[in-house]
Amino acid sequence: MEYRIVQEMDLMQKLEILADAAKYDVACTSSGVDRKNTGGGTGNCIAAGICHSFSSDGRCISLLKILFTNECIFDCKYCINRRSNDVPRASFTPQEVCDLTMGFYRRNYIEGLFLSSGIIKSPDATMELLCQTLYKLRREYGFQGYIHVKAIPGADPAIVERTGYLADRMSVNLELPTEEALQILAPQKQRSKMLAPIRQVQQRRTENRQELALYRHAPRFVPAGQSTQMIIGASGESDLQILKTAEHMYRSYEMKRVFYSAFVRVNDDSLLPALPGGPPLLREHRLYQADWLLRFYGFHTEELLSEERPDFNVFLDPKCDWALRHLELFPVEVMRADYQTLLKVPGIGVRSAQRIVKARRLGTLDYQLLKKMGVVLKRAVFFITCGGRQMYPVRLEEDYILRNLLDGKERLPYGAGKEPAYRQLSLFDDPRFSV
Amino acid sequence: MIRVFRCEDTLTGILTGVYDAWDSRLGHANVRLTSSAVENLELFCEYTDVEPDAEKAGKVFRTVERRMGMEAADMIAYAAACPHEKKADAIYRMIVMGLHLPDGREICHMLTCPEVRLIFELRRKAWHIAHRYMGFVRFRELENGGLFAVIEPEADVLAMIAPHFADRLPLEHWAILDRIRDRAAVHPAGKNWFLLDEVDEKSLSMPADSCEEPYFQRLWRGFHRAVGIEERENRRLQQAFLPLKFRHIMTEFQDQESQDGCGDVSAGECFRMAKICEK
Repeated sequence: MEYRIVQEMDLMQKLEILADAAKYDVACTSSGVDRKNTGGGTGNCIAAGICHSFSSDGRCISLLKILFTNECIFDCKYCINRRSNDVPRASFTPQEVCDLTMGFYRRNYIEGLFLSSGIIKSPDATMELLCQTLYKLRREYGFQGYIHVKAIPGADPAIVERTGYLADRMSVNLELPTEEALQILAPQKQRSKMLAPIRQVQQRRTENRQELALYRHAPRFVPAGQSTQMIIGASGESDLQILKTAEHMYRSYEMKRVFYSAFVRVNDDSLLPALPGGPPLLREHRLYQADWLLRFYGFHTEELLSEERPDFNVFLDPKCDWALRHLELFPVEVMRADYQTLLKVPGIGVRSAQRIVKARRLGTLDYQLLKKMGVVLKRAVFFITCGGRQMYPVRLEEDYILRNLLDGKERLPYGAGKEPAYRQLSLFDDPRFSV
Repeated sequence: MIRVFRCEDTLTGILTGVYDAWDSRLGHANVRLTSSAVENLELFCEYTDVEPDAEKAGKVFRTVERRMGMEAADMIAYAAACPHEKKADAIYRMIVMGLHLPDGREICHMLTCPEVRLIFELRRKAWHIAHRYMGFVRFRELENGGLFAVIEPEADVLAMIAPHFADRLPLEHWAILDRIRDRAAVHPAGKNWFLLDEVDEKSLSMPADSCEEPYFQRLWRGFHRAVGIEERENRRLQQAFLPLKFRHIMTEFQDQESQDGCGDVSAGECFRMAKICEK
């Protein structure tokens, strides 16, 4: 028996419902592909990506992030659009998505389209609809801006491939870091089915690189690569498991990005954890920091975490944490250390390491200059010498450094949970004292 | 006695100043450049006003390109767009130093030198402002189908963002007005863009907004509202990325349906009708 209330909805309502339904997806980047306009359409892409606005939660809005439909046949516990939820349902038509995208794009509201979808009828049917929409947008409307589209697990590889030629980036959400968690919270989804389209896109991209080397104007397949996302804190996995999964995705599936999204409890379900302190935002933040360490700083998961210490210290960023446990490698001499070693110093990032390497060839550095070049001396001062000297005498001891690192008036990132258990004493703290 | 060359606050003005200062043969230690309009005269200085001269500036710029490389030329051009009281003198010092090096291209890496560092920072700052405006510019569609936007940037970024939009919207008529400098970048459909100086916003006869415009603005505001997650609300973070100074030119932060007689329903209808007519 099928109950479906058919109701004429205008575009405004649909947009609000389907943007609201898509907001938990985090991948709103427009980066990774540089494409000039051919002269006959609308749009281009620049590799750095452009943020067009920022929403009330401080996340960037660069793409028109919508679901094609939220009429989903799946019943994943964590998802607001699961079949058993009573939420308003809507579906776009390809025409409407195209009109919206073009209207917004011309006014410079957005950088492109992010099209995801609930599973309507079957994975094949859904993927076919997404593909049709992209085809219409690219070919009929001449849209040359950025398109990020979801590959639907379980859909026919032929449709996925067709879609890949129309999109810039494709992604399949892993949803949860481990297969066991997936079985509990999203019983209709299987890890193997999710990985199949990822592998397919990866292989096709490799072939495509060959084709492009031979024929410069060969059609490009998913030029901005793939990304994926995981929900953090919905099931009981540790940071180590999450980071291992992420590293695996980077190493063996050539992912461009893995996104982490702090679990937001939108459904009341006994299988989901209660979160009295709100979503685990600080944990998410630490994971992103570690993610950067994996991708740009040459770290490995095993260096950052171990079976004995499977979670990050929320009060300290992962790099400081690592450095404190490896004091035997410090202090580092800034004038002589190689680039890779500089990168591992807390307070020195990719940019400042590059600048140091460039500048020390042409002159001597001192602490003032380091500060000017963007080194965060507050952290770095414990781990470097410059010209053989420390900035001021510091002891290379874990306790001493830790105390001083935490001592600053640094505001812990949003959602730090509780304050440290000590505070400044005051003359008037005496409970017997009253005014 | 130090001779101070006061030049106009544009790339042409500053480079003309560089030419004149060098040409005065007073010695590099005895000349200084300034581009700020502040009338704060110093003792023991002689002031000379420099008329911007495209020919002299062109000579200097080409020399910089040839002897110090494209990167240095870029740095100087971007830095000149950024407001800073010491930039003109820093550009002069950087060019002097660059032309005395055996290999002028090294100059971009000499971050230990304060003038070069200043130029380097200003270049970065100008680029950041331009990059932000590439995202934050909001076009309005006019009755005649053209697109129009107003910006109020602290640096002169119009010439940096115009090529981006020319590439992005080649088949549209569009114009971006810099309200602070009374300058506009204009792009006729299918042609090259150009800069118009001395454009007074008040004396412009603007066509009314198109019929669809309020409808799309409403859609965009609706989307902007819907896409934020309440559980993660963080206005401070939002403001760090999108400071308040930008917001009054952005559609999503303006009050709902302020202008225009076109009501919401009729605008939606109008859009639908237009679509039907097209078919």
